[in-house]
Amino acid sequence: MIVGSPAADARPPAPLYKRPVFTFANIGLGVAIVVISIFFLFPIYIIFLIAFVPTKYTLFTALPPLYPVKLTWDNLTAGLYGANSPFLPSMYLSLEVAFFVGFLALAVGIPTAYGLSRLGPRLAYGITTVLFIVNMVPSITIAIPISVQFIKAGLYGSWISIGLTQELLALPVAVFLLLGAFQGLPRDLENQARVDGAGLGRTIYGSLIPLIVPALVAAFLLSWMLSWDESTFALILYNPATSATLPVNIFLAFTGRGIPANGVAFSVIATIPVILLTVVLQRYLKGEDLAVGVRG
Amino acid sequence: MAVVDRNGRPPAPVATFWQRHKARIVPFLFVVPSLVYVGYFAFYPAAQTIVYSFQTPILSFTTYNYTASVQLGLYTWIGNTLWVVLGALALQFGLALAIASILARSFRGKSVFATVAILPIGIATVVAGYVFSQIFPATGGGYADSVITATGLNHLLTIAGVSLPIYWTHTVPLALATVVIADSWKNTSLVVIILVAGYATIPKALYQAAAVDGAGPFRQFRYVTLPGLRNFIVMALLIRGAQEVNIFQLAYIMIGSYPQLLTVQVYTLYYSTGIYLASAVSTVLLGIVGLFIVLVIIIGGRGR
Repeated sequence: MIVGSPAADARPPAPLYKRPVFTFANIGLGVAIVVISIFFLFPIYIIFLIAFVPTKYTLFTALPPLYPVKLTWDNLTAGLYGANSPFLPSMYLSLEVAFFVGFLALAVGIPTAYGLSRLGPRLAYGITTVLFIVNMVPSITIAIPISVQFIKAGLYGSWISIGLTQELLALPVAVFLLLGAFQGLPRDLENQARVDGAGLGRTIYGSLIPLIVPALVAAFLLSWMLSWDESTFALILYNPATSATLPVNIFLAFTGRGIPANGVAFSVIATIPVILLTVVLQRYLKGEDLAVGVRG
Repeated sequence: MAVVDRNGRPPAPVATFWQRHKARIVPFLFVVPSLVYVGYFAFYPAAQTIVYSFQTPILSFTTYNYTASVQLGLYTWIGNTLWVVLGALALQFGLALAIASILARSFRGKSVFATVAILPIGIATVVAGYVFSQIFPATGGGYADSVITATGLNHLLTIAGVSLPIYWTHTVPLALATVVIADSWKNTSLVVIILVAGYATIPKALYQAAAVDGAGPFRQFRYVTLPGLRNFIVMALLIRGAQEVNIFQLAYIMIGSYPQLLTVQVYTLYYSTGIYLASAVSTVLLGIVGLFIVLVIIIGGRGR
């Protein structure tokens, strides 16, 4: 074997000096990371602590211990199966509404995003701004007149009424996400399908949609998640005679119109799926979508 | 007689209105359902609120609801709301700039830190409100006091003349501060996501050039990072600002209806006095958010 063969030369040369690990800046960075992580994780830890430790060590003491003194399932079982626990109907309503919001976001969001990607830039910008403004209008301001309307229409408290209002929050986000996906597709793809004789419907659903499935899934799940966590519309529109969504029951439990222990159990149940979704969806949570296409 | 043009050929068929504008009309038709939907479910109810705010059960046009809200303390509610907005924006942007700057570097465990920094998005607002109501309870004490005791800060507080338990929600500034902390915990992640997107648009070469010119980390931040993030920061400030004005359940669970915030007053007035008085306060809320919306339109439009 020849000494100095290309394989041997390919190894990078040893650095002239090794970067020190424990510099002042690195230690500062490390401390910042640890402090910020504790700030973010501490409340989540407390949620689980309160859920799995007897309430006399958590809710009903002035200086609650910071570590689990004793573990118990009692809080959860009492909340989920206890007498008069609204858990099952509440969970059912939450799921109904969340899936409705998710599917509606796709049903209305796909055509809207496609249309926006084909409109002139000025009109498209105007319409995205309108959708964006909808996201800023105070929920409580529009929830009250809407609830008056729904009472008249006899839809008060139904999954349709809650879902239709929550869609106001989900639709803009879904449209921005899908718009990004449509804009990423080459324009020729569509022209080709049209030349091959496909109608507009078949072009969109036959050749464009299959290419943006990940964005569709992300839009559906984000909408689902927004609905699952939403509580202002759900609170104003809930009918005390039937049932309320999980967040509303949590709200009622902690504002003196329910049992706090129920709220504890519901909080854990409501939190787990969304934490998982957040981690899974991490790479779809894009700044451009949240700030409606601000460019640098 | 056959119609022919100057060259003796039949004239080209005149394109119909539909044929001429099809390329623009069809995409617009796709957008119509969304526009009808947001028109009916967002803009129409918002307009209705304004109309209701000038009515009472017996009068069809009156400013009574507004004078009554002022007597009830409307200006205090606006003041409290603005303090929360300012505090929350300052805390969120300080934290988010720090986190985004950290995430712009590369280090071991970066993806774990990135995940931790967005976890609060996955916690429902009501759950966040509840857990912070246990950290800063209205009854005094709570997990905040436990942490103060565990870290030995209570000795320091004793010297300063503060004794445990601390009644977090009994004074207005402290109560608003706890709401600001809780809200920032829940929402800083959204700002982080926007600023990280902003960082991605700053060319790395600018930092190298600045370093060659002898700029240290602080001057790089001041003269490269901040100008590069400017548009993102402005947009994020406006979005978050409008949403801070709308802060409701989090505050209601933590501090109830004192100190009063606009949204909480809308809610309590709606259930205690009905729709008319609540609509007046609601319209004031809408007006404040409207200012943010106008700024978004002006600034967003200028960037194009």
